[in-house]
Amino acid sequence: MSYLRRLPKFEYLATRSIDEACDLLAVHGNQAGLLAGGTDLLLKMRRRETSPAYIIGLKGVAELSGVRTLADGGIAIGAMTTIQALMSSPVVREKYGVLAEAAAGIGGPELRNVATIGGNLAGALPCADLPPALITLGAKVRLKSRNGERVVPVEDLFPQFGMTVARPDELLTTIQLPNVPSFSGGVYLKFHDRQSMDMTTVGVSAFVTWDQANRVFRDVKIGLASSAPVPMRARKAEAVLRGRACADDTLEEAALAVCEEADPRSSWRATREFRFDLLRSLTKRAIKGARDKAAPMIGEAS
Amino acid sequence: MKKLLPISLRVNGETHDVLVAPWRTLLEVLRETLGLTGAKRSCQEGQCGTCTVLIDGKPINSCLYLAVEAQGKDIQTIEGLAKGGALDQIQKSFVQKGGIQCGFCTPGFVLATKSLLNDNPSPSEDDIRTAMVGHLCRCTGYVQIIEAIQDAASQLRHEGGS
Repeated sequence: MSYLRRLPKFEYLATRSIDEACDLLAVHGNQAGLLAGGTDLLLKMRRRETSPAYIIGLKGVAELSGVRTLADGGIAIGAMTTIQALMSSPVVREKYGVLAEAAAGIGGPELRNVATIGGNLAGALPCADLPPALITLGAKVRLKSRNGERVVPVEDLFPQFGMTVARPDELLTTIQLPNVPSFSGGVYLKFHDRQSMDMTTVGVSAFVTWDQANRVFRDVKIGLASSAPVPMRARKAEAVLRGRACADDTLEEAALAVCEEADPRSSWRATREFRFDLLRSLTKRAIKGARDKAAPMIGEAS
Repeated sequence: MKKLLPISLRVNGETHDVLVAPWRTLLEVLRETLGLTGAKRSCQEGQCGTCTVLIDGKPINSCLYLAVEAQGKDIQTIEGLAKGGALDQIQKSFVQKGGIQCGFCTPGFVLATKSLLNDNPSPSEDDIRTAMVGHLCRCTGYVQIIEAIQDAASQLRHEGGS
């Protein structure tokens, strides 16, 4: 029985710095697993879905943890920042509420105290809650190797199910978020079977920048979880909303556009049809909620 | 791959020098090497909370934590809670309020309570439910557990003299 299984054997390589981790990846990258919080990787190893010969432990790399404010008003989040630290960070709560909200909905304290933002991205699961929120905030990740560093937008990070564009010798070090414009706000809504400790059936993140003078959407970004083989951005629906007022029929049109773009699967958790129903209603609610945050004074009027 | 690593674990204030294989979890080492069987093995995937221990005061699932990565940290298990044979207030409240039936989930709940009350001495029922989402109990129906946590919070506040 799988629940009695121990972990497969591996050699453990402890690291203290980003450079040291990159050196180890340069040598062992193809046979190594990067161990961040372990709440995803150790499960896969126990189920024998992966059995890396080497495990590179990142818990000792202090420079990978924490939230820093950048000169341009944005922030840089270390990949080893725990979900708990992320949702408790004052700057994340104040300026990037949608990210704090998505983080707070993950697991319980025991998991959030070890699971990391970098792991949530690198796991590349379609049901991960942080990618949609990060996509709508325009986040980018830094991928570092001994040969250099490159920056990849989160929306381009996932080429196919369970994969990122990171090469075996690259380490995801930092998640960068740009400053947020004025009159903007975001919401992450998800449906899941239980009230907590469950995988997301469908998740929708919306980030609205409101044109206060003309009372129309200046810009909208929409990110989806469990709606396709990879976390995705719903560009067609965003285009529907740009420059238009927040009216019910416009929201309906955007929700239908999301359903056109999305490609959810049927699983024991939910059928494809039910996920479309969820997408339709969550999209409308998320956009409306984000608009209310972006322009809190106008309330119900549109 | 026969490498055993010499590590030093500080559990309940006491340092243990042990040789462990890197693939062994903290839960396995606590139970099988150190004989501390308070933390239980159940789901092995972070859903049930029975393996909960505190690392630097914060609850974690010891089934998902490598023993080698727990070096240099302050590990607290249920065995470290009672002092000189006297139960901790949280344990007393669980007993008094009937928060224990079969007892399998109890160490996890008690340690999670310890961390909760440390951060928030006056939790609302909602705070308690939110903090305990990672713990399953198949006996009590949770009502008595929540009462026990509320009782412990109130007793500890009085003890603190406030």
